[in-house]
Parts: sequence; structure tokens; C-alpha cells
Amino acid sequence: MIAEKLILEKGVSAGDDWITVDPTAIREALAALKADGSRLLVFLTCVDHLADASRQWPARYELVYQLRDLESKAQLRVRTFLDGDPPRIDSVQDMFPPANWDERETYDMFGIVFEGHPDLTRILMPDDWVGHPLRRDYPVGGEVVEFSEEHQTWQTAPDKA
Amino acid sequence: MANGARQGVSTTVGQGVTVTKTGEQGAFGGELLTVNFGPHHPSTHGVLRLIVDLDGEQIRRVKPVIGYLHTGIEKQMEALRWQQGVVVTDRHDYLSPPINNLAYALAVEKLMGVEAPPRAQALRVIMSELTRIASHLVWLGTSGLELGAMSMLMYCFRERDTILDLNEEISGFRMHTSYIRPGGVMADATPRFFDLLDRFIASMPGHIDEYEELLTMNPIFRSRTIGIGRLSPEDAKVLGASGPMIRGSGIAWDLRRSMPYSGYESYDFEVATSNDCDCYGRYLVRIKEMREAVKILRQAVDRLPDGPVNVDDRKMLPPPREELETSMEAVIHHFKLFTEGYSVPAGDVYVAVESGRGENGCYIVSDGTHKPRRVKFRSASFVNLQALERMALNHMIADFIAIIGTADTVLGDVDR
Repeated sequence: MIAEKLILEKGVSAGDDWITVDPTAIREALAALKADGSRLLVFLTCVDHLADASRQWPARYELVYQLRDLESKAQLRVRTFLDGDPPRIDSVQDMFPPANWDERETYDMFGIVFEGHPDLTRILMPDDWVGHPLRRDYPVGGEVVEFSEEHQTWQTAPDKA
Repeated sequence: MANGARQGVSTTVGQGVTVTKTGEQGAFGGELLTVNFGPHHPSTHGVLRLIVDLDGEQIRRVKPVIGYLHTGIEKQMEALRWQQGVVVTDRHDYLSPPINNLAYALAVEKLMGVEAPPRAQALRVIMSELTRIASHLVWLGTSGLELGAMSMLMYCFRERDTILDLNEEISGFRMHTSYIRPGGVMADATPRFFDLLDRFIASMPGHIDEYEELLTMNPIFRSRTIGIGRLSPEDAKVLGASGPMIRGSGIAWDLRRSMPYSGYESYDFEVATSNDCDCYGRYLVRIKEMREAVKILRQAVDRLPDGPVNVDDRKMLPPPREELETSMEAVIHHFKLFTEGYSVPAGDVYVAVESGRGENGCYIVSDGTHKPRRVKFRSASFVNLQALERMALNHMIADFIAIIGTADTVLGDVDR
């Protein structure tokens, strides 16, 4: 059983159960849930709550882990809120193998750093890409046409790309 | 590139294939070779690049490099209104557009607390099953082609074309139908659609027999797939595989049965499984699934309920054209819907449906405005592709073609 003290908040959103845990306790919480039967991580992603007026958010980035128990078919969403530059959290890819690419994608798209991930590199964008496209302050149409005049100033790779 | 091969002497041996000697010793007295496979190799079903380490002809490591087909679909969704997003969902798994539409539509409906009327649900099932058959036909045709059965492609694309004709009849579009929308479907099916569908349902079982005659007992096909690309049931579960990948490993996990949606619980069909756990098993599962899909189509057509195909909610769907001429209220609703769209209550929801490839999920977050805050597509191909190394380990490089083929990844779905 996941210890009650790990759960900061719990609720139901449109029929889906969810809990919120502290980002420092994410491995402990997911390990407890896995031992409980939720052995499949369906997906892992991030939501950027920049300038989101729908409620008071504890932090800008929300990480979402969707877990499923294949036997009882119960699903649970684990949320955790992160801030910082860059935001950091422990990797869970050793507990849930599908998280390996999901964490790389979340790093690529949102710039969340997963500590302990063996190969945290960009997965969808080119290796020398600048910025994290799914952040809300990254403009749509922020991509400059390649080989155009502005391209040099927009997309110059950092030294350690 | 950081993703590139290790240090060593590289030579290009053919189009899209580069070989690098790594200097690492293999078990057979030779050096390990790093072979770059793709991204334009014809057997990679799109633009998949694989970095393969070979010991002699045996595969020791596989590293998929993806992203060549990344189109920023999730970013585009955030810039579009809720009803406009449907058009974009068509395009990630481009072999099963109506199933992508369905996942998105169900998620939006769940968050808004509405449910599509029974006739719309039955039409959704019909479109989903037609798509499943079309998607398996593309897989069967191209996989057959890669394993030497040239004629498979001709036979499979013949039937797939009938399905595209059906798509055209019901939605006006052959590939990206955008037929299933939040609140229902685009329009009711025409009588001609049901004529064509009846003919299709009657002829399809015979066509599937034809495919089986060509492949099931074909000695070349059997020797190239039996015992190749083994994925044990435990591995399939741990790696999060879904669809024919997990059912081909003997686990009867099908979202249509395990977590039913759109009224699938009321249809009588078998979940296709195979205990072979290899490429041949996955082939059998897909053939069986096509037969079951025809069965579902028959039931759906026979029991198709009458009634509307859209929810009766003027705040979500535009009023009928004739109402605009007589009702001021209708004009206002029409104007609001096409200038601002509707808002979805704040919250988040995850809905998963079974596509030809596995679990096709849609996670949406709304901040209460008329555009989504975040839309995440959980694609089956993205997760199934991670199982590739496990399946290919210690196999010959020639078998790799069969293994990539039966994983049935759509690169648009992997890269989104």
C-alpha cells in the first residue's frame, strides 16, 4: 500500500482517479504502487501551466504518470508539480521500462531533467535544436525556414549540443 | 551527432546502409560491426533509423533513432479550437485516422460529460473496424512483400481500396476522414454506403481465405517467421507492448474487451491470441482479427439503431442549416461556434481505444477555455518500438526485416 503521508491530495477528474505526490517522493510512491499491482506505466508526460488561470497551481510544470493494473484494470494517475531551471526529478525508467523513451520525450519537449536516466538525449527533435517546443512560451511558428536569412541567428547550436 | 555510431572506419555499402568497424571483439573471432540501417531503407515502413551492432551476422545491439517524421502535432493541437483539432488527430497514425478521431472525441466528450447517441456509436464501431481491416491489410501486403511474397501487396491493396471507397462515400475523403467528431459523427451514412458495405462484408471472408492460402502454409513464409522475433509474455507485459504484439504473446489484452468503449461490450467477438510469441504468431493474430472485425461489422449493420447521429446540444454542435433562416437563436449559436468555438470544463482525462497497432490513447487537459491546454497522444507504435531490441537480439540480420515488419510501427504515430 502507498503510505497515506505520501499523498498530498487526491480526487477524481471526469471519472479518472488521481493522486498528487511530492516530487522528491516520486520513486517511493511509484515503487509502492507497483508493488501494489499497478505494474504498467501507460504513459508519462508533462503539462505546462504557465499563465493558466483555471486554478492556483503549486508550480509551473505538472508531471503526470498514468498507471494501470492489468489484472484488476484499475487505473491511477499520479501527479507531481515541479519548478526550477531546469526542473529536476528522479528517473523511474529502471522500474518501468516504457518510461525510458517517455522521459527522453519529456526532456526534449519540456526540458525536464530526469536524474539517473542513462541516456537523456533529445528523441524527436534534432540533437542541435535550441529550446523545448512544447513549453507554452515557445511560439507556434517559432521554427524559421532552413537556409533562410534568419536561420543563422535563430538556430545556432550551443557548444555542447 | 550524439546519436551516431561509435568511432571507427566507416564505409557506405549501399543506399542508406553504412558499416562501421567498432574494434570490439565478437564471439566468433571477428570484430563487431555497427551498421546504420535507414532512415530511407525501404523495409523500415517510413523513416525509421536503426543503429545495429552485428557480430558476424548476429544482432547484438539495436538502437532506434526516431524523430524524422516529427510534425509537432501536440503543439498544433494547442493552437486549434476543440472542434478543429479533429483534423490534426487524423494525421499521427495515418493508417487508422477514424480510430485516432475516436480517442480524441471520446476524451472531449468524457470531459464535457456528454455521450454520443446510439446510432453514432454504432457508426463509430463500423468505421473503427473498417479501419482496423485496412490497417492490417497494409501491414500484410508490405510484410508479405518484404518476405518475398510479391503478390500479397496487390491482393491486399485491392480490398483496401474498397475500404477507401467506403471512406469516401461516408465522409468525402479517402484517407483522413475526420468522420468521428466530439458529439457524434460528421453526418449519417448514405444508403449507397450500406450497399457497398454489405458487398464488402459478404466478400471479405473469401478474400482472407485467399491471403491465408498464399501465406499460412507457405514453406518460405513459415521458415522466415516461425521462431523469429520471440517476445515472451512476461517481456511483453513489462515493456508495455499492446495490440497484436501482446496478443501474439498469448495475453488476451484487448481494450475493446478489457475496457470497452462505444458499446463494444454488446458485440460478440473473440479476442485473437496466439501462444507462438513469434512473428508467425503475430501474423496469425492479425489474420484472425480481420475475420473478427468482419463479424463485428455484420452485427453492427444488422443492429444499427435509428435516431440522430449527433448530440442535441446547440452549445457544442451547430444548428441544422434550415433553422438558420427562421431562428435568431440558431444564428447566434452558429456565430458563436464558428468564431469562438465551445469551452470544455477545466480538468484532465485519459481515454484509450484499441487501434490496429494497440493502445491508442488520448490524454487531454483543459483549462476551461476554447482551446486545449495540452493534448498528448499515447501511441502504440512508440511503446511497441521499444520492444524491438528484445525481439531482435541474437537473430540474423536478415530476420530483422521480418521482426521490424511484424512490429507494425507507423512512423507518423511514433514521431507524432
